[in-house]
Amino acid sequence: MQLQAQYAGYKQVTNTEDFKKQFSKAAQGTQSIQCDFVQDKNLSMMADKIVSTGKFWFKRDNKVRMEYEKPTYYLLVINGSNIKTKDSQKENKVSAKSNKVFEQVNQMMIDCVQGTALDNKSFSTRLFENGQNYMVELTPLAKSLQGIFKSINLTVDKKDYSVVKMDMLEQSGDNTVISFLHKQMNVNIPDAVFSVK
Amino acid sequence: MRYFRLNSELSRKSKVESKKCRSLATGFCCVLVSLLLFTNCKSYYRNLRPGSGDVNCVRQFSPRFTNTLYSAIIDVTKHHFSGILFFKLMPDSSTRIVFTNEIGVKFFDFAFSKDGTFTKYYLLPKMDKKVVVNALRSDLRLALLRPDLSEAKVFTDDGYTYITLPDKSGNDHYITQGCEKLVRIEKASKRKPVVVVQMLNYINGVPDSIDVLHKNFKFHIALKRVER
Repeated sequence: MQLQAQYAGYKQVTNTEDFKKQFSKAAQGTQSIQCDFVQDKNLSMMADKIVSTGKFWFKRDNKVRMEYEKPTYYLLVINGSNIKTKDSQKENKVSAKSNKVFEQVNQMMIDCVQGTALDNKSFSTRLFENGQNYMVELTPLAKSLQGIFKSINLTVDKKDYSVVKMDMLEQSGDNTVISFLHKQMNVNIPDAVFSVK
Repeated sequence: MRYFRLNSELSRKSKVESKKCRSLATGFCCVLVSLLLFTNCKSYYRNLRPGSGDVNCVRQFSPRFTNTLYSAIIDVTKHHFSGILFFKLMPDSSTRIVFTNEIGVKFFDFAFSKDGTFTKYYLLPKMDKKVVVNALRSDLRLALLRPDLSEAKVFTDDGYTYITLPDKSGNDHYITQGCEKLVRIEKASKRKPVVVVQMLNYINGVPDSIDVLHKNFKFHIALKRVER
């Protein structure tokens, strides 16, 4: 029998229906999100981490923009099935449909902010809770993603069912935590912010 | 009649010209081939002359990484990768080198021990090919600049000092200006550079930029130091 991960301070929730309803309801009321983010890349064997910061935008439907400012510039824009990335030297445009890993990561990010993370068919899911938060554990089913991630865990605030942080755990023991801060909900964000042209 | 004479004269002239052309063309080809052969055979390092000096002076250019971040761009054939390259000096004096993309996905995690032993802790499964490991190991080893200098010799050429270390397929050349400034490092075959490494603008013993360029195929690593 395979041992499944448990998380300190969390207990598993077996009946996930109530959470699904509330998470989906809160997400339905979210037309847009604008916030800062802090990304901690924890390197377990090195006992060190790389901290990145930037800005995050989401707009219904299927539009996400992540702009890394420090320590280095990087732009990721998801607009439907189109993805644009830009580093200090090169801009790249791809269709998520042309790359399975991209498509799965794209769908996972959209599901996180649209409240449909538990319904994503590319992952098996488990739900945990503590006093303040729920945690949705997404374990990839596709081999392409399994080679990179052991699981992707979303921490959801019990107060407003918004995603507080996303923790991507790698097979190597390293993980990347993206924390969303200073959230502004339902502010007007021009479509040009999500331009992939 | 005059027409035929003219025609015959033209035809004769044409044959002579044609012969001349053929001879010229053959000559040109011979010169070109000779030039190509000559150029190909002529060693890039033909003007190196034995010099004097302490080979160990090159050690001063070994980057003193403690926990140093670089913004990294890696172009391999048609693939373009960007991200962060992290050098960390570990408590056992080994240097750990991790490359992740901006989103945090790790591409590789390698280490070089104090005595130069290489360890591959992780390489993204899709990239985990012997040729990739060997190229990255060789390039990173050059950039760490911790060679075994027991067989190194000093040469000079046009004002530059070459500290030259034989390896399996050629030589590694550490090229300096009087060992006061590191100009570049070249991993070379017997005749020409194969990989050129430039490390520029040292600040507190750490280069501000590192550039590794392969001459035989499209493989370029460009690193620019960033603050943590």
